[in-house]
Amino acid sequence: MAATGKLQSVRREWRERDVRVVLAALIIAVATVATIALFASQLQSTLVSSASSFLAADRQLESENGQPLPPAWLVEAQQRGLETAEMTEFSTMVFGGGNFQLVSVKAVSDGYPLRGEVEIRTGFDESRQTLQSGPAPGEVWINPRLLRLLELNVGDELELGTRKLVIGSLLEREPDGGFSMAALAPRVMMHQTDVASTSVLQEGSRVSFVYLFAGDAAELLGFEQWLQPQLQPSQEWRSVRDGETLSASLERAESFLLLGGSLAVLLAAVAVAVASRQYAVSQRDTVALLKTLGVGSPRIGRLYLRRLAVWGVVGMVGGLLVALPLFWGLSQLLGDVLDQPVDVYLDPKALTPAVLTALVSLFAFAYPPIRRLRKVPAMRVLRSQPGESRRELVPDFIIGIVGVFGLVWAYAGDVQLVIALLVGLGLLLATLVLLGWIMVLGLRKVRGGGNAWRLALLGLYRHRQASLSQIAVFAMTLMLATTLILVRTSLLDDWRAQLPEGAPNHFMVNISPGAVNDIDEFWSSRGQPLDAMYPMVRGRMTLLNGEPVKEAVSKDERVNALNRELNLTWMDALPENNRIVDGEWFTPGKTDGVSVESELAGKLGITPGDTLTFTIGSEQITETVTSIRSVQWDSMTPNFYVAFSPDSSLRQLPATWITSFFLPKTEKNELNAFSRQFPTVSVLEVDNIIERIQLIVVQITQAIEAILGLILAAALVVMAAVVSATLQDRQREGALLRTLGGRQSLLVRATMLEFALLGGFAGILGVVAAEAAVYALQLRMFEGNFRVHWQVVLPIPFISAVVLSLFGRWQLRPVLTVSPMLLLRRLE
Amino acid sequence: MNQSNDQTPPKPHVILRVNKLTHKVDLESNTLTILQGVNLEINQGDSVAIVGRSGSGKTTLLGLLAGLDTPSEGSIELDGANISALSEDERAALRAQRVGFVFQSFQLLPALTALENVMLPLELAGRQNAEARARELLQRVGLGERLTHTPRQLSGGEQQRVAIARAFACEPAILFADEPTGNLDNHTGKDVSDLLMALNREQGTTLVMVTHDEQLAARCGRQFHIEGGVLSEPETRQKAAL
Repeated sequence: MAATGKLQSVRREWRERDVRVVLAALIIAVATVATIALFASQLQSTLVSSASSFLAADRQLESENGQPLPPAWLVEAQQRGLETAEMTEFSTMVFGGGNFQLVSVKAVSDGYPLRGEVEIRTGFDESRQTLQSGPAPGEVWINPRLLRLLELNVGDELELGTRKLVIGSLLEREPDGGFSMAALAPRVMMHQTDVASTSVLQEGSRVSFVYLFAGDAAELLGFEQWLQPQLQPSQEWRSVRDGETLSASLERAESFLLLGGSLAVLLAAVAVAVASRQYAVSQRDTVALLKTLGVGSPRIGRLYLRRLAVWGVVGMVGGLLVALPLFWGLSQLLGDVLDQPVDVYLDPKALTPAVLTALVSLFAFAYPPIRRLRKVPAMRVLRSQPGESRRELVPDFIIGIVGVFGLVWAYAGDVQLVIALLVGLGLLLATLVLLGWIMVLGLRKVRGGGNAWRLALLGLYRHRQASLSQIAVFAMTLMLATTLILVRTSLLDDWRAQLPEGAPNHFMVNISPGAVNDIDEFWSSRGQPLDAMYPMVRGRMTLLNGEPVKEAVSKDERVNALNRELNLTWMDALPENNRIVDGEWFTPGKTDGVSVESELAGKLGITPGDTLTFTIGSEQITETVTSIRSVQWDSMTPNFYVAFSPDSSLRQLPATWITSFFLPKTEKNELNAFSRQFPTVSVLEVDNIIERIQLIVVQITQAIEAILGLILAAALVVMAAVVSATLQDRQREGALLRTLGGRQSLLVRATMLEFALLGGFAGILGVVAAEAAVYALQLRMFEGNFRVHWQVVLPIPFISAVVLSLFGRWQLRPVLTVSPMLLLRRLE
Repeated sequence: MNQSNDQTPPKPHVILRVNKLTHKVDLESNTLTILQGVNLEINQGDSVAIVGRSGSGKTTLLGLLAGLDTPSEGSIELDGANISALSEDERAALRAQRVGFVFQSFQLLPALTALENVMLPLELAGRQNAEARARELLQRVGLGERLTHTPRQLSGGEQQRVAIARAFACEPAILFADEPTGNLDNHTGKDVSDLLMALNREQGTTLVMVTHDEQLAARCGRQFHIEGGVLSEPETRQKAAL
């Protein structure tokens, strides 16, 4: 009964224009935020599962110290409902066809890969097939190049330790074939159960044991929480996020979604604020009338509070009803883009921000002006009373700011983001105050004349208060939308810069010093010149300022670089994608000094002037740190934690050389000639990985564009809501101007110009504020270099002017089609 | 302006001529006839009251006479121009030059000061001296001290004075007033109608007023009654007004 009553009251209220606007704003708010949150969650799960194949699982646990992992952990994971598999990786010599070759073995258990696929061929002329399993016991799959090096055929036997294994297939691609310096030799994949029979693994062998896990996020998290306290420093828990190349892309995409969602929250709040304010103003006469009928302030307060609560429910339910089909549509779109069916995954947690947005928008924005309705004097019925003083608006403003930033904070969990937006908005408001002052001073001088320009300027002056608040809302909307466009542009630029066309897609390692020139010549003569070649000496960092380096590091910091040998190098020139962040690069002729990578330096607290001692075989070298250098790890070129000066004592130690180069797919056959001529050099083919990263980048880009489109649509709706808040006033004015002899064409031109000026001003302010916000964001979230994006920034004020002038024209429509007399009477 | 010639009285200039005016409105289920066969001739300088009950069609008639709407049938000639044949823009131009309005609910723009409200039609007509003229008129209606007040800060009577000043701003040939005292108390209403009549005389404007206030109607030279959309002139006191 009560529910029916409520429904009827909603229906009755729906007939009021202002209520329609508030409810529409609320529904749009909930729908936008819910769609984005749902889609972001879907995207994340889709992308992560697509990217998980880089680990062949959702998570990996690796032991690098040669000690096997406790089998009980696998059992625990299985009991928790996770899928598991095992992997053992080691290097060894294989013998076959009268040849020896150092290989990198990966022994996999049943179940491997948990994510992604293995690609094999049964012969050079056969087509590739994809499988979700590894080789059967007794069989090996080997790198095609190894087959040539050993001069064997598929079906032949290969000796691995004391065991003979049949070459079952050629291994073309493995899902976790990530690039790691440790795996330099050609790959041999075998079954885990055959490892013991090879007798290759002895006490002290260099081997890494890996457990693979896959399952849903909650189970994985639960297992991780159970596992973490038990992990040794040499045991590493890895998720997709920890992989170097992909994680940066994924994190940026997530930041973007977060930012997009936060901006949607802000836009939604603005829309609700504007609409509910308008509603409160329209309710003053009603409240005054109720008071004359004897209704007291507390009852009026309760009445409106109840109304807000009902709106909240209607907004949430309506918003979700709009969001779900939208989300479903976007998910299908994602499926089309990825060219694979997407499991629509409705994350109930993703709905929380939408519900919170509705509640905060209603109670931080809509409630304060409505609450003040209680104070409307009954006298208003008899005589128009002055409106609210500006002082009364101050608490509204403060509650609003606190509400919205609390909301963004709760949503994004990132204080920096909140501060960046606050700075942008603060700048915007300060500029607005200045602009308002200039407008009042400047436009007051415009007098007389009936041309459209003068009328438009007069219009701005006449509606200076409304104009300024509209400019504020438009500018804010544009700022938010522009910020998103700018961030998207810089994200895409960064990604493109990261893996440009022709980026190196092959590495050559294990090059002996004597072969350096011959190899260079080999590729140059084939039109594929090499990038810079770097010497490589393997060694451990042992002492920092004379103290054992592991003791110098706090226990909380687990530094991988300390658990294994580092590739040390010496270099003349700073590589292209390295930057000196502290100290100075080696000066020619100086023989001492080392340059340390900035993240490692940060974790170990190394600054220029510190001394580092390295143990290389039986030798020890101590050097002073002369520079700290940032390295772009995802650049697909050889990167080093530690670089020595070109004339350092490292030169005296035996080194092999490494380089990377670009080889087009069509030239892949050259690798066979190369392997025959330089059999000891290992070639790492990362072209497949690059292709997959590029595919994922394309996916993320498309998803980001879909979300951007959604937010721009929401921005447009906010603008429409704001413009329509003054619809009645403007229509009345239009009708009056026509009655007073204003010609239609003049009215149309003047109104369109007035709105174009509004849009232009707002556009300029919006992009300036957006650049400021992006500058602040860029410093923290996206790690890009800030620059002004003219090509994005310049068209926005223009587009905003055009869009708003069309809005203005649309508002004027009834004024032009209906008799002004009728309109005046209707609007009274 | 009002120089009379005793020997041959000049042929009065007909400023408004209405011929067989009918106006219908299409409703969802039927067609409503609001005005039927209205004939009317008003001379330059006349003051005319159209009296009738609510819903009798008087405001519709006023709107049609002023060219704010076009009739279903019949013709209206305003200052020699057949307004039924004019385009919307041509009618607007005619209004800007020749027509003034006073409304029952004042119709002042709330965002503008009294001065700016009066300047509005002057600016629309492209007059250069808009501000000086507006000041002068506001002085004339007794609001010289309230130039910067917005409508919200003025009483109803004061708002209507501003509206009257606005109506006379462009020196119209004809002024249409829709229940000008309808929203005012008797005393204020009388003041406002005094002002309206006085300005009308001073400026030689033709006044067409719709009202249900018999006293106000009695102050006009001619009175028409309208009932059920039919207009009649029971008594002509044209001369009395002069």
